[in-house]
Amino acid sequence: MNFDTRGFSQLTRRATDLMAETADVPNVLRIRLGEQHELTRAAREMVASIETFVRELRSFDAFAEPVESDIYQDL
Amino acid sequence: MIRTLSEARSRATELAVSVGSRLGADHQLTQLANTAAANIENTLREVRNAAVDKQESAPGLADLHGALQTETQPLAPTPVLTPAVIAFEAPAGLEPEHWLHAFVDQLLAQARDPGGITFESAERLLQQRKDEFLRDFLTARRMYRTYPHLFPEIADDTRQPTSS
Repeated sequence: MNFDTRGFSQLTRRATDLMAETADVPNVLRIRLGEQHELTRAAREMVASIETFVRELRSFDAFAEPVESDIYQDL
Repeated sequence: MIRTLSEARSRATELAVSVGSRLGADHQLTQLANTAAANIENTLREVRNAAVDKQESAPGLADLHGALQTETQPLAPTPVLTPAVIAFEAPAGLEPEHWLHAFVDQLLAQARDPGGITFESAERLLQQRKDEFLRDFLTARRMYRTYPHLFPEIADDTRQPTSS
């Protein structure tokens, strides 16, 4: 199946920024509320899901063939 | 922290929309993006609930509430809207279903509420309108892509004129 892969590098950068900005949230909550507090667990789950998304997005972006390069190859 | 999570939710929603528009709603990456956005939403909701609960309860975790609210509370007293201000006339040409109507209605209702309105509640209302807009946009695009014959006006507008 063909996908529109244009702009995935930009999406990957934005997702990486998002991951960096939320990375400290579980630690802040853990310090204030404790390891076992439900908020701490929710935050940890949130960060894990963002990391999984970013990892898969990076992988996809690395293997995606830029549309522009196809155009130049045809010339 | 609430501001951080609120902005993260907005960004994650936009990322999910962008990924979904390129790969389709069923693609694994789209589902991962939606999961991440949903988890951010859950965390944000729980943090907000905790902040409200702690405000009403003993001071044991008052520092949490303070920490959560510091970034979002205005330094000056919240201005109270006077009755003269509580009126909204839509700009000419704005369709009745435009998101601005619902947003302003909710904003004014919040302002009339005994609890008043804060920057945080206004921000939350605007985020709700934005999320709803993005969901409606995705639904409309899916409908157009699935049933293009139902939207002849759009198809005519987007068709490129042939050069002579």
